[in-house]
Amino acid sequence: MKTDKLSSLVFTCLLLAGFSGSIQAHTPLFDCFDNNDGTITCEGGFTDGGSAQGIAVRVLDDQGRVLAQGELDERNSVDFDRPTVNFSVVFDAGDSHTITIFGDDIY
Amino acid sequence: MLKKIKALSIGILLGIVSLSASAHFVVMYTPQTALLRASDVPMHIVFTHVFAGGPTYDMEMPERFYYTYQQGAFSFPEEVDLKPYLEEIEWHDGDRTLKAWRADIPRDVMRSLGDYQIVIEPEPYWEEEEGLYIQQFSKVMVNVGGVGGNWLQSLGLPAEIQALNKPYANWTGGVFRGVVLSEGLPVPFTQVEVEYMNHPPNLDENMFQEEPLIEAPHPSLEAIIISTNEFGEFSFAMPKAGWWGFAALTVGPERELNGEFLSQDAILWVQATDLPE
Repeated sequence: MKTDKLSSLVFTCLLLAGFSGSIQAHTPLFDCFDNNDGTITCEGGFTDGGSAQGIAVRVLDDQGRVLAQGELDERNSVDFDRPTVNFSVVFDAGDSHTITIFGDDIY
Repeated sequence: MLKKIKALSIGILLGIVSLSASAHFVVMYTPQTALLRASDVPMHIVFTHVFAGGPTYDMEMPERFYYTYQQGAFSFPEEVDLKPYLEEIEWHDGDRTLKAWRADIPRDVMRSLGDYQIVIEPEPYWEEEEGLYIQQFSKVMVNVGGVGGNWLQSLGLPAEIQALNKPYANWTGGVFRGVVLSEGLPVPFTQVEVEYMNHPPNLDENMFQEEPLIEAPHPSLEAIIISTNEFGEFSFAMPKAGWWGFAALTVGPERELNGEFLSQDAILWVQATDLPE
């Protein structure tokens, strides 16, 4: 009986792992734009069009210190003041879903 | 008996009109529809025969020129008027100079990640030789950054081809699928004409390149006719990289203008890309 329950649990875990693999088949994408008013807008998303709402975005200086942070809204978008120092912006959607854009590439 | 003869005549007439109206295309040309990052989007708009590269026709200022875009999976699509960016240009076709259009769509207007369905709703064109009006509801899609968007959405145009594949993401040899719609409803067993842009535009000279890219061994391979199925769907494998135009003729609801026949057509442009070496 215990063996049956264990088998069922293992099967369920494998099944979930399988689903999880297929859910992650999409690719995360991210970019930022200069609004020419002292602010930048950053947008994220996925190749399958899935929502990126709630995904964390951090603005870091070149020492890795957090200058600002926020999360993408229902339009997959978040605004920040443009730092006056060298910076990068990190889109952090989990282990393999991290993308960094450097300040010099934001125009 | 008279009724039968009349119905037969109209059927034959529609058949002839449908055939003779073939091969006209509103070309909506931009060099690249799959953009890695946002950039200015130049677009040339010309009314012509794409496989033969002409003859080209004068095109009046479109009634409407816009894109629809959906930002985020749960927001509503929004429409942005692109007519302010239209500029009339002279298009050269041998000794003839025709009226065509160019739009330089600024980066700021198409900056966000995702799909842009760019649409032209032209004024009906009076085709003197064929004695009918042609109005082609035409679409091309541009994607910025690879984020999926509203590429699959039908816009409810009077005549429309709804894409079932992203029109900007097709390898050469890949099968493109679509649905022909009339006011949003599928049109079963209607013909779709497929033509290769055999004379790509020379944008510096405002003319189509004189030398064709391919020589078709038979007229049936110049304008390839396929049919939709019972659900209005069609599919076509694109054997060469470049631009492929899909046209569904006389599928819109209006059939008469100023006492003459009106062909309301649907056009969709699809770009095929070679696999990298």
